[in-house]
Amino acid sequence: MEPSSQPQPAIGVVAGGSQVYPAYRPAATVPTAPAVIPAGSQPAPSFPANPDQLSAQHQLVYQQAQQFHQQLQQQQQRQLQQFWAERLVDIEQTTDFKNHSLPLARIKKIMKADEDVRMISAEAPVIFAKACEIFILELTLRSWMHTEENKRRTLQKNDIAAAITRTDMYDFLVDIVPRDDLKEEGVGLPRAGLPPLGVPADSYPYGYYVPQQQVPGAGIAYGGQQGHPGYLWQDPQEQQEEPPAEQQSD
Amino acid sequence: MEAGYPGTAANGAAADGNGGAQQAAAAPAIREQDRLMPIANVIRIMRRVLPAHAKISDDAKETIQECVSEYISFITGEANERCQREQRKTITAEDVLWAMSRLGFDDYVEPLGVYLHRYREFEGESRGVGVGVGAARGDHHHGHVGGMLKSRAQGSMVTHHDMQMHAAMYGGGAVPPPPHPPPHHHAFHQLMPPHHGQYAPPYDMYGGEHGMAAYYGGMYAPGSGGDGSGSSGSGGAGTPQTVNFEHQHPFGYK
Repeated sequence: MEPSSQPQPAIGVVAGGSQVYPAYRPAATVPTAPAVIPAGSQPAPSFPANPDQLSAQHQLVYQQAQQFHQQLQQQQQRQLQQFWAERLVDIEQTTDFKNHSLPLARIKKIMKADEDVRMISAEAPVIFAKACEIFILELTLRSWMHTEENKRRTLQKNDIAAAITRTDMYDFLVDIVPRDDLKEEGVGLPRAGLPPLGVPADSYPYGYYVPQQQVPGAGIAYGGQQGHPGYLWQDPQEQQEEPPAEQQSD
Repeated sequence: MEAGYPGTAANGAAADGNGGAQQAAAAPAIREQDRLMPIANVIRIMRRVLPAHAKISDDAKETIQECVSEYISFITGEANERCQREQRKTITAEDVLWAMSRLGFDDYVEPLGVYLHRYREFEGESRGVGVGVGAARGDHHHGHVGGMLKSRAQGSMVTHHDMQMHAAMYGGGAVPPPPHPPPHHHAFHQLMPPHHGQYAPPYDMYGGEHGMAAYYGGMYAPGSGGDGSGSSGSGGAGTPQTVNFEHQHPFGYK
């Protein structure tokens, strides 16, 4: 996963950067968005009035992204729980042990493709037939989750690439999907508005604004801001390593 | 162990014959077609987990085919290494299950263990009764290896098949839970303790047969060091799925 993890941060940053604006548009913050952008370019004296709105905006966006992320994860977790419960039910109810969903002879040939393999017991291909069935089902389910996230109805190769990227168990499959699909999957994330990338993205803009706010802020304003940054910084620290570095720079 | 397990010898002999034939057949280069699972079978399985309106692109179908072959080679390689370390020649079903737990497929071991157990029951009944009806289940024991397995399995619990399943389902009091909780998908397992507890007995049943307890437990304990992270799914507004856990309750016992 190291090779693929290297480009991810860059993709994440870029995706996060582009993600902030879409996050503003769908929410009620749309009318405030124009005000926020000019605020950044306005002279320092204008900040005392906007910092509160700015921190409130970011806090709201961050909370929404986090809630969405948690809800999605919980939903997919429930799908997987149901998946494994159904697998056990299927096996408990199996009565036909002669017809397998995959041909045993083909499984044997693939096993024997490894020249080091000598002899195979009769039960091994039988177990593999059921194992491969479960493998196909789980990989398809995880791939379909990505299809749904992108609001499509056709399961594509890049959905499989996404499932492989997200699941450590599938590390041995990274060579099967081209790098293009892995990158494409990364690029596809911002279009779908993925919260996990939004987390660092939300923290970046806020990190940039915090030092500016503190400098011109009045005593009371400073106290207020101090509360908000503390609250916001706690969550990113638990998930990301970069936010602590930024905090130190402050 | 091999000497005390005539069933293994029988399987070994059968595998030997098949192996020889397989080697002869494999003399020419493996054809592209033989390297992959039949695409019709793969698609049929995929559709079982997809909604009715779902479509599958051709490149996705081919990708899954490749993934399955890679999966078989991946697990087989690990299982074979274990055989060679122990100076055995035949890859057994237990070797396959061990390899899966070692390579991060911990979730697979439990359902497949149940499947293997039931398959052996089926084989035993089939040989003993001598009829082709696989669904038929006799209450009496048989003198064959399969019968021996069945006899011992029942002996450790109850005599009747349904009662055996019932006891297995509710984790028969006399059988302690397995000592190797899978670290992979830790959060996932925490969310469903009933799932894990209910099906613990099948593992111990294997342990009780032919002194494989130490063998099985000893091998699985150190090999369960799989990756701990699970799926980190996320993305746009996903279609909310109706969660129906009723599937877990209506177990069809005969």
